[in-house]
Amino acid sequence: MKISRGPLIANTLCLIPLFFLIVGYFQGSLTANPIQALTLRSGRTAVTLLLGSLACRPLSNMLGLTSLLKIRKILGLYAFFYASIHFLVFSGLDFEFNLGWILDEIRFKPFIQIGLSALILLIPLTVTSINSIRKKLGKTWQVLHRLVYFIAILVITHFLMAVKGDIIRPAVYGGVFLLLMLFRLPSLSKIKLDKKPRWLGSINKFLLS
Amino acid sequence: MKHPIHPSEITPEALYYGRRRFIKQAVTASAAALLMGACQPEPEPMLATTTTDNVPPTAGSIKDDMGNLLTDYVSIINYTNYYEFASDKSGPTKLAQNFNTSPWTVSVGGFVRNPKTFDIVDLNSLFNQEERIYRMRCVEGWSMVIPWNGFPLKKLLDLVEPTSDAKYVRFETLFDPEQMPGQKSPIYPWPYIEGLRMDEALHDLAILSTGIYGKPLAPQNGAPIRLVIPWKYGFKSIKSIVKIDLVDEMPTSLWMASSPSEYGFYANVNPNVPHPRWSQATERRIGQDGRIDTLLFNGYEDEVADIYTDMDLTVFF
Repeated sequence: MKISRGPLIANTLCLIPLFFLIVGYFQGSLTANPIQALTLRSGRTAVTLLLGSLACRPLSNMLGLTSLLKIRKILGLYAFFYASIHFLVFSGLDFEFNLGWILDEIRFKPFIQIGLSALILLIPLTVTSINSIRKKLGKTWQVLHRLVYFIAILVITHFLMAVKGDIIRPAVYGGVFLLLMLFRLPSLSKIKLDKKPRWLGSINKFLLS
Repeated sequence: MKHPIHPSEITPEALYYGRRRFIKQAVTASAAALLMGACQPEPEPMLATTTTDNVPPTAGSIKDDMGNLLTDYVSIINYTNYYEFASDKSGPTKLAQNFNTSPWTVSVGGFVRNPKTFDIVDLNSLFNQEERIYRMRCVEGWSMVIPWNGFPLKKLLDLVEPTSDAKYVRFETLFDPEQMPGQKSPIYPWPYIEGLRMDEALHDLAILSTGIYGKPLAPQNGAPIRLVIPWKYGFKSIKSIVKIDLVDEMPTSLWMASSPSEYGFYANVNPNVPHPRWSQATERRIGQDGRIDTLLFNGYEDEVADIYTDMDLTVFF
């Protein structure tokens, strides 16, 4: 099976944050508290990719970038991947898989409960993205995958609650999410760029080939 | 005749970089060079290693009173919370480089018999400089062991003679958004305010610090003068102080004002009072692997517990 350029590029781009996390960790350049830096970065990457996957549909509608629909699933899977790293850094590196400590963290911290719920809810979405399972599910798949909107709300709430006071970054993510939701409204989802510049078409073709 | 260099004059690399990181960097630098050779010709130095002066970091001991090793100097000056400059940990180091601390005065007033404005130069010579090796526990769940240079706050307060109306001490950081870009953020009620009860302020462990490791404070560490209260969470140890007032009412600190449910006035280190965001039962000591238990009053229970005997510490957190 021939893999087109879009997914190839998406895969490569999605692995770059991982590369820098690993290099940074072993090079000692992740501040004096590398575990905290790993937690923050893996979390940010996960939420960015989740929003990225949610942006594919409206961008495809508006700009005619149909190639984005082919990488939507990849971005979603990597969002789960980085969310899992985020959780492993928290439970393994930070709290040393010490169940007592981890349960205490979950018990006392609503923001962790919310983040953990989001991760758990991502699991069925990840599993059902396997093509054969997806086909078997038929219409149910669509309904199930609408969960992603709820998950995104959980994730952004988790982000908002996790920061000390500098709410700007999570607020921006929240704003982008709302915008992406707005463009799913029936009246707005039909908006199309009238005169698409030719380079958009070229990019699309390039990514599809 | 050549001046002989005494072994004690040479700063061990470990004080500078931390033993573990020193080894790790040596090993990984070569690996990284191989790995990234193609895209990066010369590995950039990632951390500021000195302040503007060239005084090597020195300390009277390599351990605190409990046998904990000192945190290396490079970590101390590169990993800071200083929201007046930036809200991340490495931002203040970059943004505070040109912070102007000269001239600098600290005005001490309020309910005192001798209100006085001190020039920072005089403050440094008025009192004997002492070294205090303290654990510093940040509310965010990390900690360091820092050799501070400074003098007891009590000495300064005795000089201005508080009256009987003085019940609390209120501290204020410089407000200068041109120099401190973080103060342009509308999220916080600037300037930074902190406070202590009178008996806390007069406690021998409470110091005003002007240096770390025998060097003048780096701007990101709170130059030219800051408070250090080792049994409280780090945010109580207010930086770059310009004003100290003796007052009769409990001051509202910046963190109390911005999030009253999370930050109380006392902010004593207490593993039994959970915080909604960070673990207070355990902590991560910078430069060490693994978590360690957080101690009540940050391990200074013997020294300070008696001033809180009648208080429910979970209510007055």
